[in-house]
Amino acid sequence: MSGPFSPALLEFIVDRVEVGIFAVDRDCHIVLWNRFMALHSQQSEATVLGRNLFDCFPELPRKWLERKIESVFILKNYAFTSWEQRPFLFRFQHNRPITGGVDAMRQNCTFLPQKGSSGEVELVCVTLVDFTDTAMFQTQLTAAITELEKEKRAQQELIGKLEDTQNQLIQSEKLAAVGQLAAGVAHEINNPIGFVNSNLASLERYLRDLFSLLAIYEKAEPRLAELALLASIQEAKAAIDYAFLREDSSALIVESREGLNRVKRIVQDLKAFARIDESSLQLADLHNCLDSTLAVLASDLRDKAEIVREYAALPLIECMPAQLNQVFMNLLTNAQQAIVERGRITLRTGCEGNMVWAEIGDSGIGIPAANLTRIFEPFFTTKAVGAGQGLGLSVAYSIIARHQGRIEVSCAAGQGAVFRIWLPVQRQAADGS
Amino acid sequence: MTDIHPADLSGDQRDALQEIANIGMGQAGASIAKIWGEFVQLSVPCIAHLDRQNIPAMLARFVGDETVHAVRQAFHGQFRGEVIVVFSAGRGDQLAALMGYDEADSVEEQELLLDVANILVGACLGGIAETLAADIGFSAPSVMGLDVPPSQLIPPDELVSGRALFLKVRFTLEKKSFASHLVVLMPADEFAVLGAALDKFIGAI
Repeated sequence: MSGPFSPALLEFIVDRVEVGIFAVDRDCHIVLWNRFMALHSQQSEATVLGRNLFDCFPELPRKWLERKIESVFILKNYAFTSWEQRPFLFRFQHNRPITGGVDAMRQNCTFLPQKGSSGEVELVCVTLVDFTDTAMFQTQLTAAITELEKEKRAQQELIGKLEDTQNQLIQSEKLAAVGQLAAGVAHEINNPIGFVNSNLASLERYLRDLFSLLAIYEKAEPRLAELALLASIQEAKAAIDYAFLREDSSALIVESREGLNRVKRIVQDLKAFARIDESSLQLADLHNCLDSTLAVLASDLRDKAEIVREYAALPLIECMPAQLNQVFMNLLTNAQQAIVERGRITLRTGCEGNMVWAEIGDSGIGIPAANLTRIFEPFFTTKAVGAGQGLGLSVAYSIIARHQGRIEVSCAAGQGAVFRIWLPVQRQAADGS
Repeated sequence: MTDIHPADLSGDQRDALQEIANIGMGQAGASIAKIWGEFVQLSVPCIAHLDRQNIPAMLARFVGDETVHAVRQAFHGQFRGEVIVVFSAGRGDQLAALMGYDEADSVEEQELLLDVANILVGACLGGIAETLAADIGFSAPSVMGLDVPPSQLIPPDELVSGRALFLKVRFTLEKKSFASHLVVLMPADEFAVLGAALDKFIGAI
């Protein structure tokens, strides 16, 4: 270096600058040790000069550091260490005796080759800069960013949940509106159904009586032969096809009664849906509900599906068993109808925390993705006319909602549908119902 | 990429740089072998001028599709520029013993990459600078990316527009399946100084 610097000034700078400076020769003997190094290592210049670096500081990572220094001698090139990968070279106390926060001073080091007149490296000079403040700031920054990212993820999750809740809300609002309508309709229909039903019973009896009366008259027909009346009777009988009329009348009555029963069932469904019949809460075994429903449907299911039960141990739950039976009935009926020829219906149960679940899966035709959002809507059905009213799943939905549970459906392409019902073991009192 | 641009080095200058780079790599190989006690191979440097926007594509072309680790290091002094050293991901353990590490964990592996990059850059560029009698210094290397596709090492919107000099060397350890690529990038505003130094070199022989 040239310029108006006295050796004394340079010596002063090297010694007093707030940077650790030391130098070693090819054998790693210390030839320079400035004040920063002496103060922080608590080893004075006098005690270390001329001694091997690793003898003075046995805790240094010797193998690695020797190679590093050697590479500077050979390559005549700089080398570096950074606090991010190697927090420190020397374990020095940090500059925060009061406020703390780190275990030791963070250091960035530069290894400088000092070439002699021959061009060969004679000494390796190392500068050591205190990076504690930067390191702590960056660590805090990294922690803050990690925290922010975590919060962002949590928020996204929350937004997802909100969307789900909103969808459910829309669903239950729809159901509530339809429920009110259904309650009104059910009430209105119940009365006429009642008198039509009893009238039909009377009419059936009257017809039976009339036909037996006519039968007696028929026995008198041969005696009427001499009268011209017989011809007109037989003519009239032929005109109305009396034999068929007599037979068909009773069939008509039977069909009408079936029709009425169907109307009654629809009204019952609507009532269940609209919560007209509220049964009482009791502790019940979900497996009993499933099994009793299976028993009711046994004759329908027998020809259609193999029933696989995978039951787990479940606690008794607080519920309205009759209503749950209805849910299982609806789901099992759907499952059975989804199976084209013969298949399997799998019933699984399980328990997670304060919730139990029951799953009904079928090997049937499945549900097209486009319909998945609509299946719980009242009167939505894909079944043939007469095979379903589109109330089964919406009834199930409202019953489960009333139980403070939820119902999920999953359906992989080309596979059957799986409905899973989640129910709380104990209802929350806040509901008030 | 190979079209002539007024700012680019002339044909003679490029030939001279190629020659100097060849010599430099020979010296670098010898020095590295001395440090590690292993024979290393350095490919003949490939030199090109290109628009900076094409650098990511060029990197991807040389390095391939597999994800890589990369380290960048700046050099300054008579010439300025940046060097990118690209390592195949997951081959660091091959070098750990050479660099005096017992067992490299992930943080140590990063330091190992920095150390190796520093040695490669110092050896290769040091050789070239010495031949050109140029005085250059180096900044500390830093990790550019871990496990990233080569084409994504430099986000294109971070590249300043303009020409650049691209010098690429492939580095392999003879007895180990370790390879890395060293890419020297110099901005066009350095071409004049570099050209002058090359002219001086051509004049001297």
